[in-house]
Amino acid sequence: MLKLHSSARATLARRPWLLIWAASVFVVALLVTAHADAASAIPRLKSGRPDFSGIWQTTSAADFDLEPHSARKDAPPGAGVVEGDQIPYLPAALEQKKRNFAARTSTDPRLKCWTLGTPRGIYYPEPFQIFQRDRDLTLVFQFGHSVRTINTNGTLHPEVTDNEFWLGDSRGKWEGDTLVVDVKDFNDETWLDRAGNFHSEALHVVERWKFLDANTIEYAATLEDPKVFSRPWNISVILHRHREKNFQLIEDYCYTLDYDQYYPVPGKEGTR
Amino acid sequence: MRFDVNERSVVRFIGLSLVLAMAPVLVTAQGAGTQLASGPAVASAPAAQPAPPKPPQGEAIRWEKTVPVIESGKWAGKRLADGQPDVEGNWANTIANQNNWIDPQAGEPGGRPPKSARNERAPSRVSDPADGQVPFQPWASTIQQDYFANFRNPVKPEYIEPFARCAPGGVPKSFTWHGYEIRQYPGYVLFLFNSGTRIVHLDGKPHLPESIKLWNADSRGHWEGNTLVVDVTNNNAKARLGRSGEFASDKVHIVERYIFDNDGKRYNYVATITDPTVYTRPWTATIPARRYGLEQGDEADGWHYEGEIANRPGKPPFDEYYERICVENNGGFGQVATSQAK
Repeated sequence: MLKLHSSARATLARRPWLLIWAASVFVVALLVTAHADAASAIPRLKSGRPDFSGIWQTTSAADFDLEPHSARKDAPPGAGVVEGDQIPYLPAALEQKKRNFAARTSTDPRLKCWTLGTPRGIYYPEPFQIFQRDRDLTLVFQFGHSVRTINTNGTLHPEVTDNEFWLGDSRGKWEGDTLVVDVKDFNDETWLDRAGNFHSEALHVVERWKFLDANTIEYAATLEDPKVFSRPWNISVILHRHREKNFQLIEDYCYTLDYDQYYPVPGKEGTR
Repeated sequence: MRFDVNERSVVRFIGLSLVLAMAPVLVTAQGAGTQLASGPAVASAPAAQPAPPKPPQGEAIRWEKTVPVIESGKWAGKRLADGQPDVEGNWANTIANQNNWIDPQAGEPGGRPPKSARNERAPSRVSDPADGQVPFQPWASTIQQDYFANFRNPVKPEYIEPFARCAPGGVPKSFTWHGYEIRQYPGYVLFLFNSGTRIVHLDGKPHLPESIKLWNADSRGHWEGNTLVVDVTNNNAKARLGRSGEFASDKVHIVERYIFDNDGKRYNYVATITDPTVYTRPWTATIPARRYGLEQGDEADGWHYEGEIANRPGKPPFDEYYERICVENNGGFGQVATSQAK
C-alpha cells in the first residue's frame, strides 16, 4: 500500500478536493479497463467465424534462424521459436543442414526470390495480407506477391499424391475460434529460414491460427517430415496487425530485379 | 543484403547467353500452335480427377470476331453482402491472346501471315481512335516497330519482352493472357492472374507516392452500377501491351471501366489511356471477356479455364484452382539457376 509522505498528508488536509479527484480518476480507470475488454472482442465474419482479414507481420527473428542463436553478421540475435529449442533432425539431414548453413549467403532460395513456401512466408519479415470469405482465406505475400489459398469449404486434399506445390495444398477447419490448417503436397525447393533449416517433399504442416486480441494472432505450426526429422516439432510466432494510416502491400516481384536494367522507361530523348 | 552480388552477376551472364541462344528455338516451338507454348508456363500438377477431353490443339483459344455491346447502367444481378455486384469467379478474354495488340487474330509478330482478310478478323483492341491505331508520337512509333521487327530474333535483351520471363503482365496486358480469377471482399477486388496478382482498393485510400513504380501499378476503384471504375497510377511502364511491342511510359494514367452484363456472363474491359509523353492523344482499349465455370458447362481447356475439380466425395462437382506460380519465377533468369544437389 502507498504510504503518504507527511507533506502529502498536509497537502490533503489543505486541499480535500484532491481526494475526490483521485477517486474520480480511479473510477474512470476502471471504466476504461472495462471498455478495453469490450474493444478486444475479435473481429468476426457474418457467419460468426473469426475474421483474420488484415495485413500482418511478425516482429520475431524467426526467419533469420528458427533455433536460438547469438547475433552474427547476417542475423540479429533471437531466442528461437522452436518448442524445445532444437529441430530434431535425422543424422544425415543434420549434416545437410550444416552444409546449408555454411553456404547460406549464396544458396538460400530467398536470395533468388523464389516463392518462400509454408510456413516461411508467414514469419518472413515482409507483410502479408489475408482476404477472407466463408469458403477460403486468400493470403497475398508482399514478397513475390505470391498467393496462397486456404480452403475452408470442407474440401479435402487432392486425391493424387504426387502434386508438388511451392506453398503446399491447404485445407482448413475450425475448432472453436481456432483455424486448423492441414498443409501437404510440397516440393522440396524451399527453406524454412535463412540459417539453412530445410525439409523434403514429404513435409506435412499443421497450422493453428488464433486471435490473442483483435490485432494479434498467435500462429503455431507442427512440422513433420519422416525423411528429414526424427519426430514432429512445433513452432510458434506472434503476428501483429499493421495499423499505420493508409498502410498497404507494395508489390515486391523481386525476381524481376535481375533483368530490370534491360527495360528502361522509353522516352523521347532515349531511354532513361 | 538481399542478393549476393557475385552470384547475381554470374546468373545474369549465363542466363542471358542461354536465352539468346535458345530464343529462336523457343519461338519456333510456339509457332507450332500448342496450347501452352505461347508464353510462360504455369506449374501444372497432374489433375486430381480424370481430365475432361482436351479440345483439338489450336482450338483452345476462342476466336470471336466481334465485341458485344454492353452499356454502363444499373446492376440488377446478384450482390455480395457488402453491396458490391457479385462478379466473383473465372474469366477470360474472348478474342485472342497477347500476340498482336491492334490485330488480335493476326498471330505473333513475324509469324505466318494470316490467310483471312483484315475485316474477317476481330477488330483492333484500340477502340478509339477509330482507325484502331495506337496514337504514338513518331519517336515512340519507331521504338514500337523496332520491338515488333525483332520479336522473333531477339538479338538484344530488351527485345525479349519481360512477360516471357514471368514478369507480371501489367495493365492492361494481363487481360489478354490465360483465364484469371476475380475474388471480392469488403473494400477490395482481387485479380489472380497466372503471372501476377492485382489488388484493387475500394477503400478510398490515396494512391501511393508518385516515386513508387510497380508492374501492376496502383489501383483505386469504385462501383458505378454495373461498372467497376478503377484509377490506375504508379505504373513502372516495363510491361508491354502485346508481343507487338506497344508500350506506355511511367507517367501513364489509366482509367479502367469493367462493364458487366446483368446476366453475369460477360463483361467488357474499357480503358482510357493517357500519356502525353508517348501518345498524341488519350486513347481507349477494349477487351471483351466472358465467365468460365462448371455452371456454364465449360470444360477445362488449359487456357481460358484451368480449374480442377475439388475433392469432396458424394457432393456435386465444384471447381478450384491450384497455386498459380509461373515456373520461371522459380527457375532464375534464363532457367539456369538450379537447386543444390540433394
